Amino acid sequence: MESEPQKNGVTRREFFRIAGRAGVGLVVSIYVPEWLGVESTAPNLIPRLETPWQPSIYATLDSTDVLTVKAFRSELGQGTSTALAMVFAEEMDADWSTVRIEHVGANRAYGDQMTVGSRSIERYYDPLRKAGAAARQLLVIAAAQRWSVEPGSCRTEQSAVIHPDGKQMLSYGQLVSDASQLDPAKASSAPLKDPASFKIIGTPRTLYHAPSMVRGEPLYAIDVRVPGMLYAVVARCPVFGGKVVSFDGSKASAVPGVRRIVQIDSGVAVVADNTWAALRGRAALQVTWDEGALASSSSASIREGLIKSAPSVDGADAQTFKAAYDIPYLAHAPMEPMNCTADVRRDRCEVWAPTQAAQAAKQAAQTLTRLPDDAVIVHVPIVGGGFGRRSGTDFVRDAVQVSQQVGAPVQVLWTRDDDLQHDAYHPLSYNYVESKLNDASVPTALPTNRSFTQRGGVPTGSWRSVNNFTDAYARESFLDEVAARSKLDPLALRLKLMPAQGQQVLQLVADKAGWGKPLPEGQGRGIAYWALWGTTHVAEVVQVAVAADGTVRVPRVVCAVDCGQVINPDTLAQQIEGGIIFALTAALKASITIDKGRVQQRSFADHSLINIAEAPAVEVYTIPGTGRPPTGIGEAGVPPLAPALANAVFAATGIRVRHLPIRPEDLRR
Amino acid sequence: MALITLMVNGKQTSVDVDPATPLLWVLRDALGLMGTKYSCGEGVCGACTVHVDGEPRRSCVLTALQAVGHQITTIEGLAADGTHPLQQAWLAENVTQCGYCAPGQIMTAAALLAKNPRPTDADIDAAMTGTLCRCGTYQRIRRAIHRVAGQGGA
Repeated sequence: MESEPQKNGVTRREFFRIAGRAGVGLVVSIYVPEWLGVESTAPNLIPRLETPWQPSIYATLDSTDVLTVKAFRSELGQGTSTALAMVFAEEMDADWSTVRIEHVGANRAYGDQMTVGSRSIERYYDPLRKAGAAARQLLVIAAAQRWSVEPGSCRTEQSAVIHPDGKQMLSYGQLVSDASQLDPAKASSAPLKDPASFKIIGTPRTLYHAPSMVRGEPLYAIDVRVPGMLYAVVARCPVFGGKVVSFDGSKASAVPGVRRIVQIDSGVAVVADNTWAALRGRAALQVTWDEGALASSSSASIREGLIKSAPSVDGADAQTFKAAYDIPYLAHAPMEPMNCTADVRRDRCEVWAPTQAAQAAKQAAQTLTRLPDDAVIVHVPIVGGGFGRRSGTDFVRDAVQVSQQVGAPVQVLWTRDDDLQHDAYHPLSYNYVESKLNDASVPTALPTNRSFTQRGGVPTGSWRSVNNFTDAYARESFLDEVAARSKLDPLALRLKLMPAQGQQVLQLVADKAGWGKPLPEGQGRGIAYWALWGTTHVAEVVQVAVAADGTVRVPRVVCAVDCGQVINPDTLAQQIEGGIIFALTAALKASITIDKGRVQQRSFADHSLINIAEAPAVEVYTIPGTGRPPTGIGEAGVPPLAPALANAVFAATGIRVRHLPIRPEDLRR
Repeated sequence: MALITLMVNGKQTSVDVDPATPLLWVLRDALGLMGTKYSCGEGVCGACTVHVDGEPRRSCVLTALQAVGHQITTIEGLAADGTHPLQQAWLAENVTQCGYCAPGQIMTAAALLAKNPRPTDADIDAAMTGTLCRCGTYQRIRRAIHRVAGQGGA
């Protein structure tokens, strides 16, 4: 079967673009998707006609005015690569239409690259502003030298330096060779713009990769095809921690197209000429497992153990209020399942990983191959959703180990059941909250959650907003219970307890949502507030309609956010909308349960996500002009949603549900 | 294995595959058409939606043999240079986040609009409910479909 894509217009186009730039007669026989970038794939194979100017590690500029900004944080759909490029282009005064984004893969020059915790913009806003301003300054100096004028008398606009006469101008591209001669130290104290003069930051921009996405271009790791590549799937023990005792591959080997069957750390891999043969081979494979110590464990028994270790909720009195809230195991389930392609040779290893942790992926590959640092190359394509799942390296190790054993490039695909049954789940938790109340039945301090979770056995990991989700659900549900008990308005109670920035978003969301206005029978509003990682303030009002059979419909969610300087307002809205839908799946629909050490869910049929008919209308409002530098938004929509929903359900029905997901059977009247 | 002739994006093409291979894997592994995405493999998420004689079909549960004799259209063949009104509306409404489900969403919506140029919200729900998006872009998908309908259809 052909491994070279036969009908891929973009690949071809990209191929000829590269070949064209490299000059007539060049033959490049490798498949070069756009996201690999030219420099990062095969620098020796593709000579360049010119060397672009590299004012810093963050960007290059060529003589045609094309500004290539390096994306060094993983792009998972959260818009980070576009936003960071916007910051650089803003301070450089670049024409946004000249910007290209190139993903650099694993490279320690760019810090830890760990794309988690909504922190990329928060951390790199300042460095990229300074780098952009420095690039601009060097171009101004280069132009001023050419014109023999004072740099301070020149100005810049849309990728050009303007002469003091206001008529002559030099495009940035025309200044590339002059700027290349300058000592970058000349721009070490380049001034930053006054945010009031921003032209790119704060304006809506379509995500850079969106045009390629809607055309179905091969952007993702799952789309990688390298010459001679084989396809593999891995049979894993259904019980966490189980091991292979033995396997019989005779039937699997008989499947046409199956090439090899190899044992790796995570199980037994079936390697074939194509995905379908690998899947059929795995179905025919017979493995005897040692299921290990967890074979009798269940999520119900784990929960019971946690309750025993937590304080009792009994014994509340007029001065003390106690309650506890349950959260189940939760799966990430990004639409692009786990996968990875690795090409391990004797002296080098190349990996294409849909990862949030490029350097951890590289470290994992190095540890397995024992190759030196510069012999291991990790590409990070566009990632089809992450939500924390891809901060692990399990899927990377699979591919490296299989490629090592078969001596060929291999793509290891996780099927959806592999993904749901071998995730690193948001941990099951039992959350105890207790608060002393004053004479007015108001908590004497903001209550805090004591979260009891089991660490051993079931694999757990970061899940969009991590403990913010858990702690917000517990505290904000608890506060609502206190308000009900004390006959206080839930908004008024929070305004008494929250810091100033919290009060601001609470008041804004209440105003926009029509807090306090009457609703029909069976409907209700709930409110919640959280400071994500202590820095991004977010309040949500959820409106629900609860039917007599207990079915919950969510027609509307209103959200107010204070995240300091907004970079791309459309991305902010997208992330809040997406965070709300993500949390709504956990609050109303899907959870992971374990019985006999096995995950019981295996597909989107029994782990069903919120769909378009169930998706609420979401309105997003921001606090303008705070003057603060930006804080993270990728997870911000998530934490207030579940408690605001539970509080809305209480307002609609008088029924307090202290667990997730909220099911119709909890609310039948 | 058997030589199977398929009509994909208006071109006749022959592939040597197991006739029971889902069309999805023929498109991706044999023909290099990567726009059609794998996500569930059992027809419940819609990421692999293609048109078969104009009807939206899940290519992960349709065999290569079943596809013989039918006109298959993938996202790559929806419009030259990606200029289908829905593709443009997807950009105008900034629908995509990770973008992985976009081809399946657009193919499903294109089939809807071809039959029903002015769909109501209920029509959109009925047509699009089985096409999942973990990034939660649903309201923007709805707006993009209405945008095309408002411009006189696809």
